[in-house]
Amino acid sequence: MKRIIAYLQKEEWSPYVAGILLGLVAILIAVASNVFGDPGIALGASGAFESLFGGLTQWIASDWVAKSVYFRAVRLPGITWEVVMLLGVLIGGALGAISSRTWKLRWMPEKQWTGAFGQSRITRWVLVFIGAIILEYGAGIAGGCTSGLAIWGGLQLALAAFLFMGGMFASGILTALIVYRRKY
Amino acid sequence: MSVAEIMAGLVFGIGFGFALNKAGLTKYHKIVNVFRFTDLAVLKFMMTALIVAMAGLFGLDALGLMTLPTPPETYVVGNLLGGLIFGVGMAGVGI
Repeated sequence: MKRIIAYLQKEEWSPYVAGILLGLVAILIAVASNVFGDPGIALGASGAFESLFGGLTQWIASDWVAKSVYFRAVRLPGITWEVVMLLGVLIGGALGAISSRTWKLRWMPEKQWTGAFGQSRITRWVLVFIGAIILEYGAGIAGGCTSGLAIWGGLQLALAAFLFMGGMFASGILTALIVYRRKY
Repeated sequence: MSVAEIMAGLVFGIGFGFALNKAGLTKYHKIVNVFRFTDLAVLKFMMTALIVAMAGLFGLDALGLMTLPTPPETYVVGNLLGGLIFGVGMAGVGI
C-alpha cells in the first residue's frame, strides 16, 4: 500500500503504466456506452471544443447553427457527454500535478521552448493560439484528434485512425525538423 | 443526460487526465520530442493503451457481454488531410 501511494506521488510514471490506466478507462467508456445505450459516449477531446463552440454560437446565430451540416450530422452543439468528460480531464490533470506537488502556474514550459522560440511570452501566446487553431481545424476535418480518432478509432481497428496517424506523423516530423533545423 | 452519465463522464475524464499528466504528456517537450525521435513516451503511452483496450473490448465482445461501439467514419482524403494539418499544430507548439 505504501509503495502504491509513493508511486501515485511520483511526478512521472512509466508511459506503459499510464498507458494501461488509459486503456482501462477506454474499456470502461465502451462499457458505459453499452450500459447507457448512448453512442455519444466515446473517448475524445477535440469534439468537445466544437460542441461548446456550437452551443455558444447558438445564442447569437441560431439559424446558422441549425442550417450547418457539420453541427447537424457530425458534432452536436451544446453540452455533450464529451464536454463533461473534458471537464473531468482538466480536474484529473490538476489532481495528477497536485499529487506530485508540481502544481504551479507557469508562463512558459519548463524545458526546450525558450531554446527554440526565445523568452518572449507574447511569442508563446500567439504561437500557441495559432497552433491550437491549426490543430483543431485538422481534427475537425479528420473527424477526431489523437484521442477520439487515433486511440478510440485505433482500438476498434478503424482505417480512419491509421490514416490520421500517418498524416499526423508525416507533417509532425517535418514541422519539428523546421523548428529544430539546427538541433534536430 | 442522466446524473449517472454525467458522473461517469467526470470520473472517466479524471482517469484520462490523470494518466496524461503522469505520462508527462501535458508538457511541451514530451509532445515535440516524439517527432524528433528523442523521447517516444507519447507512442509508448498510446500503444499500451491501445493494446489494453483492444484486449478488453474484443474479449468482452467475444464473451457476448457487450457490443462494440461504432468506429469513427473512414473517408480517406479527409482523415489523411486532417491528420496532416493536425500534425503541424501538434508538433509546432506541443499541444
